[in-house]
Amino acid sequence: MLPEADLPLRIIGNTAYFDFLGPQDEPWVQALLGEMQRFEGQRRRQLAERLAEPFSFNAPYFKRRAASRVLMRLWKPERIVGVRPTVLRQAVFVRAASQEDREQVLEDVALEFSLSRQSLAETLFGDLPGERIVRAPCPIPSAHEVVLRTNVAIAQAAVMRASTIDLSILGATRPIVRLAKLRGLLCVVKENRPGTHPVLEISGPFSLFRHTLIYGRALAELLPHLAWCARFTLNAQCSLRGRLCDVSIDNSAPIFPADAPIAFDSKLEARFAKDIAALALDWDLVREPEPLRADGTLIFPDFLLTHRIHKERRVFIELIGFWTPDYLAKKLARLRDSGITNMVLCLDEERVCNADELPPGLPIVKYRRRVDAAAVLKQVEQLV
Amino acid sequence: MNLLFDRGTIVLHDVPPDLDLTAIAGVHWDPRVNVWRAPGRLSYPLATALKRRGVQLANTPCPKLDPPSGFCTIGLRPYQQAAFAAWRLAGRRGLIALPTGSGKTRVALAAMAATATPALCLVPTRALLGQWINAIADVYPGPVGCLGDGERQLHPITVATFASAYRHMPLIGDRFGLLVVDEAHHFGQAQKDDALDMAIAPLRLGLSATPPSPGNAAQNLARMIGPTVFELNVNDLTGEFLAPLDRITMQLWLGPDEQRELDELTEIYRNAFHLFQVSHPQGRWEDFVNVAGHTDEGRRGVAAWRRTRRLLAYPRCKQRALAELLAQTRDRRTLVFVGDNETAYAVAREHLIMPLTCDIGRAERDSVLEQFRSGKLRALVSAQVLNEGLDVPDADVGIVVAGRMGEREHTQRVGRLLRPGEGKRAVVYELVVQRSNEVRQAAQRWSRLATRSRSAA
Repeated sequence: MLPEADLPLRIIGNTAYFDFLGPQDEPWVQALLGEMQRFEGQRRRQLAERLAEPFSFNAPYFKRRAASRVLMRLWKPERIVGVRPTVLRQAVFVRAASQEDREQVLEDVALEFSLSRQSLAETLFGDLPGERIVRAPCPIPSAHEVVLRTNVAIAQAAVMRASTIDLSILGATRPIVRLAKLRGLLCVVKENRPGTHPVLEISGPFSLFRHTLIYGRALAELLPHLAWCARFTLNAQCSLRGRLCDVSIDNSAPIFPADAPIAFDSKLEARFAKDIAALALDWDLVREPEPLRADGTLIFPDFLLTHRIHKERRVFIELIGFWTPDYLAKKLARLRDSGITNMVLCLDEERVCNADELPPGLPIVKYRRRVDAAAVLKQVEQLV
Repeated sequence: MNLLFDRGTIVLHDVPPDLDLTAIAGVHWDPRVNVWRAPGRLSYPLATALKRRGVQLANTPCPKLDPPSGFCTIGLRPYQQAAFAAWRLAGRRGLIALPTGSGKTRVALAAMAATATPALCLVPTRALLGQWINAIADVYPGPVGCLGDGERQLHPITVATFASAYRHMPLIGDRFGLLVVDEAHHFGQAQKDDALDMAIAPLRLGLSATPPSPGNAAQNLARMIGPTVFELNVNDLTGEFLAPLDRITMQLWLGPDEQRELDELTEIYRNAFHLFQVSHPQGRWEDFVNVAGHTDEGRRGVAAWRRTRRLLAYPRCKQRALAELLAQTRDRRTLVFVGDNETAYAVAREHLIMPLTCDIGRAERDSVLEQFRSGKLRALVSAQVLNEGLDVPDADVGIVVAGRMGEREHTQRVGRLLRPGEGKRAVVYELVVQRSNEVRQAAQRWSRLATRSRSAA
């Protein structure tokens, strides 16, 4: 993660604004890449020293610092082959303790390991981080990719200095919550005003007591995954330059995304998404929309259909496929508890359940192997 | 009612409806999950406060690991005994401040043996992990856990680096009853304090050779570990328990070309700093470094300052002086202290002295120290690894080529030479470039150490 001092941001009042890199920065990033390539085969320390010095091309200072750090991570040290430097050091320094003539010591050790004096000198500390030879990645990233990678590093470095984040997201929610829980974070849906998107508050248990940075890394890890959400807004208070600043990041932030999440949990879902998308041309389909709060936990509906013109017409769709009676009972209980009214439940015909177990008022579409998208759409249009 | 450990915090379950928890300090209502919550550190005080109010507690957090047993008898010197007694009398919480080389680790081992509760020792660096594990293994027959430097094993006695403890404390905070914090002065500045706040351990022992001066850091440290319960300085122990020390300052002069370059660079960064001071009269050096990035003058100023530092790190006069001193002290165990790793490797290449830097792996480091102990290696050069805690056996000559951290670093460095030996008299050579800021730095360094000093040109 980037150090705070290298972040290209402006603080106005209590709000921090990022200076993300954009297309206008690509020419100097390209020049920086060229400069990096000049150091192919040189020591990492030498490259780091060069990057700390002024450049001939005109590049915004903090942006360049951030991009340089990102590139330094991409330029990997070369693998060491041949005699291990630890063995050489042992031989050289122990021998030198008892033998005064420096040249003779080096000559003897070089002879012992069948090395030239020059390769002995090069290998002696060749395994230590600053002394290792750096090699460019293959392929060398484009300037555009470096720009996006730098932006995500900038945003992550700020989020790392948060104790809690508020997320307003639409689509691909479940992977975010799953990742957050895996990292030991707490996810709760905050009460919000009617008509607004629910807000997911992600924090750690200890965030209750003070602005701790102990969850920073876990919170920052979520950021590249947010790029896959249909819409997101992240709000956080971050400790920057000695004070707490409001930070906001949304879809417009040009950040490098994480690997794509798995598109669908099952073939059933994939087929249904394809069918309904082809059929409901006036509706937008969102997979894994915002979570709903129920009985102290969160429910993740499988889909949300939103009418393209009349945005208030929103219907969640839940496909209940393979389940155990206990799982189904719990799921239905949660749905009843959530008090949700705009949802269509699709139930596998082979699984029977009593009418009193079902959440009252929710339309049911039964299916066998394939969900009938037309039947679902009919229910949706009747519902809202 | 139940008190349960939850990721570094204590969650209060089944709270009696008539109980007013707002009156208990540190307990907060957590609206996220609708429970009362307190930091792990308050686990025991909270249980006591609740019992005092007549609340029946079905479950309270207690160290999950088995208590260690089988410690050998640990002999303590009189002042170590006094320190240990002071800590016990203070309710087995508090900071013991003893000079480097006086055997703080022995006091910690005695505390572990006497409390017989699972103990977690926190150390600042990976280099110290192995040293503590070895010291514990000498008096404790069971396995010793290790958290850090790529290892992750928990045992009733475990040693962890600060960084690993910070990362893992939400998971391991309820395993131990005693926290031993080596070089405890690193805490109290908010950065990593959460690690101490997340542990339930009621017994806490801090060790430091350089405790923080009264202020916020000292107050925070007292809250998390306990107040300073015992303090001795170098002068109290010199002679009988610490080796006496001579200080020799070598006044060196740069070559004309180097001096000219230094003057030019100094001029550039002074001008930049002056411009900064005009706009920021109260600004500190850190603020200057932050602000400097916005202007060409500022950037040139910082670059010039960096070059100045590099120039002074190892100029020709220091190279010559070092060569001479190493030749003179060839038959003695010598530690060379430099300002950065790059210089350490330069010295190592030039004089064929083994470097001991943060880049050197644990196995090699242990082997190097063993060889230094046995006399196979006569000298070591280091930038920062030897700054804290690392027990360097029998070194009696120190050569300070350069330093970066000021007085605290220097006290710790000099401490490496103070471990007592029969007839031992340690000597510190200090290489100081005249007409540079090193003159002022050198004067400040010795404020904590009173020694017999002389100068040499």
